[in-house]
Amino acid sequence: MPFFDQLAGNLIYGAILGSVYGLSTMGLSLIFGVLRIVNVGHGPFIMLGAFTAFWMFTLFGLAPVASIPLALVLGLALGFVVFFAVIKRLINAPELSTLLATFAIGIFLEETAKFVWGPDHRGFSWDIGNVNLGITLIPYAKILAFISSIIIAYLLYTWFQKTKLGAAVRAVVEDSEGAAACGINVGRIYALSFAIGIGLTVASGVLITLFVPVGINPYMGHEYTLKAFVIAVLGGLASPWGAFYAGFIFGLIENGSYTLLGLIPGVEPFSLTRFVAFTLLLVILLLKPTGLLGGESK
Amino acid sequence: MGIAKFGLLVVLIVSLAFLGCAQQESEKVPDKILIGGTLSLSGKYSKEGQMSLWGIQAAKKWVNEVYGGVNVGGKKVKIDFKYYDDESKKEAVQSLVERLITSDKAMFLLAPYSSGLTLAGAPIADKHGVLYMSHGGASDRIFEQGYTYVVQTLSPASEYQTPFLDMIKSIDPSAKKVAFIYEDSEFSKAVIAGAKKHAEELGFEIVIDKTYPPNPTDLTPLLSEVKAAQPDVILGGGHFADGQLLASQMADLKLDAKAISILVAPALPKFYEALGPKAEGICGPGQWEVGVKYSPEAAKKLGIDYFGPTQEEFLALFQEFAGKDVMPSYHAAEAAAAVLAYVKAIETANSLDTEKVRNAMNDLHFMTFFGEWKIDPKTGKQIGHKMVIFQWQGGEKRIVWPPAAANSEPYYPIPTWDEKAAGKLAKK
Repeated sequence: MPFFDQLAGNLIYGAILGSVYGLSTMGLSLIFGVLRIVNVGHGPFIMLGAFTAFWMFTLFGLAPVASIPLALVLGLALGFVVFFAVIKRLINAPELSTLLATFAIGIFLEETAKFVWGPDHRGFSWDIGNVNLGITLIPYAKILAFISSIIIAYLLYTWFQKTKLGAAVRAVVEDSEGAAACGINVGRIYALSFAIGIGLTVASGVLITLFVPVGINPYMGHEYTLKAFVIAVLGGLASPWGAFYAGFIFGLIENGSYTLLGLIPGVEPFSLTRFVAFTLLLVILLLKPTGLLGGESK
Repeated sequence: MGIAKFGLLVVLIVSLAFLGCAQQESEKVPDKILIGGTLSLSGKYSKEGQMSLWGIQAAKKWVNEVYGGVNVGGKKVKIDFKYYDDESKKEAVQSLVERLITSDKAMFLLAPYSSGLTLAGAPIADKHGVLYMSHGGASDRIFEQGYTYVVQTLSPASEYQTPFLDMIKSIDPSAKKVAFIYEDSEFSKAVIAGAKKHAEELGFEIVIDKTYPPNPTDLTPLLSEVKAAQPDVILGGGHFADGQLLASQMADLKLDAKAISILVAPALPKFYEALGPKAEGICGPGQWEVGVKYSPEAAKKLGIDYFGPTQEEFLALFQEFAGKDVMPSYHAAEAAAAVLAYVKAIETANSLDTEKVRNAMNDLHFMTFFGEWKIDPKTGKQIGHKMVIFQWQGGEKRIVWPPAAANSEPYYPIPTWDEKAAGKLAKK
């Protein structure tokens, strides 16, 4: 049954890719949810994560999985710096200002990366074998990407639900004025949420290199930015969990639709997978304008 | 009409006629031949533009100082090169080509790098009836517009992968199934269209013919399908990033084939740096590589003239301009070859008249260090120059085809992904 084998194989790969997409979008959703800022400079932070994995591997032979905590910490630090240098001044500014500022931060990061590391496409080879499922082969590196993203997402979920600080963040998402009235330092929550959002995004850059260890270059973030926006909307912009599930769904549809579209004669399936994914987005938004896990529309 | 007036008219006509003669006389023996061109010295093609400039300067120095000048009208005339930076922009190319023709009075033109920029300047040069030589525009479309004065020195896109198929056919006539997986963009589609036609002529069976959109992040679904079709030969690619991704994900899925050729990506050292031993055995097409064996002897074997510096002479001249450690890319070689082709054509025509030089080009067939040069008289498209096929062998890029240019034997069939993981190299 080559058809079902291929479909199953593609769905497995779709799920792995989807988990990475999901994690890379959670940061975007978190920042939007708490600060109501759309980070258009999202992709370049992913790029920084990918370069972290690349340099750690090339210079010190550090396995990319081990770069995940490092990228998370780097991302957190960078997030705080960017927050206090730029974002803090724009919390109540018009949307256009925040769009321009985050766009500028993105360009700044890309051009700095190009200046320091050059425009070349880099890559590395981290071979730790693969598992043969009969229908397809899956490298262990990709399975690690899958497991890591689920673990990170779960840890974040637990932190949000079980800790006091997490509850404070949720309170600010619900109603920032009310939270302030209850004695929550909203400014601090903003800073922390922004930093966590950036940390997650940079870490997801490492996961992307586990999935595809080549094509690491200063402008690699663009492709992921577009997908992240679609996934974020699909998941209900302000909901990080929605984003994670939506990432899964997007990955499954993108890869799964390939096999199904291939059944139509005379069709180039690959060029249509994005069409199908975006059409589905439109349909979901028509039926549920707040996204899959977006709750009630206001 | 008075006699005085009539006399004046006669004098005027006669003197005009003499003036015309004098003009013709001086056209025959100018002090220098001015070649003009736009080069991308800034913007996205600045790397390629700089290489072209060094190549042109090296060729100019060879013509003027080693060769002693162009033999035309019984005189040795030096060449001069006037250029402007087009900033990799189409609009700039158009105004600069106009300026080179009308105000600088360039007699011959060199087109800029890339098909897009070459196409931008072509109608202007053709309108003014000035020869415009493409040394970096591969697209076949440039030569399908009906231009008279646009000629090409490098191989057109449709020829990129045909020598690879010839190579497979000659090594292993039993290899039948070929898969095409390539980027959905103008250049790669033109390349594969040419390759497909050639594959059918050679009797290959095309088992997969699929494109993927530009900037893909995952090619697994497509590659799983290719794996199920069990091709003997895989051809594909488009640009650098997707070519790298293609090779990396073929390795993930252990999609083995007897031979693999990818566009663009394998040509750069970064390809091997990123993939390591996984890159072993992977082939790619190139216009030229340092180490190709086009030489006076090779030309003699083919019964054609050899013109210009040898490869060693070119390298030495090139490094005078570029610096000691810089190796020329094919961009430098093809730009130098374009200058040499002009010189050869001017000498054959024994004239600087555009029409005569263009006509002389129709019958010209010779070799430079860059390879053969012969154009299709009707379109101006290059048909003599052959692409070279290189292969990564033991961490080195070796030229394996055509035999006249090769410095290594092709390694076939290439090691499987498992063998490569175990450390096997594509080296005998």
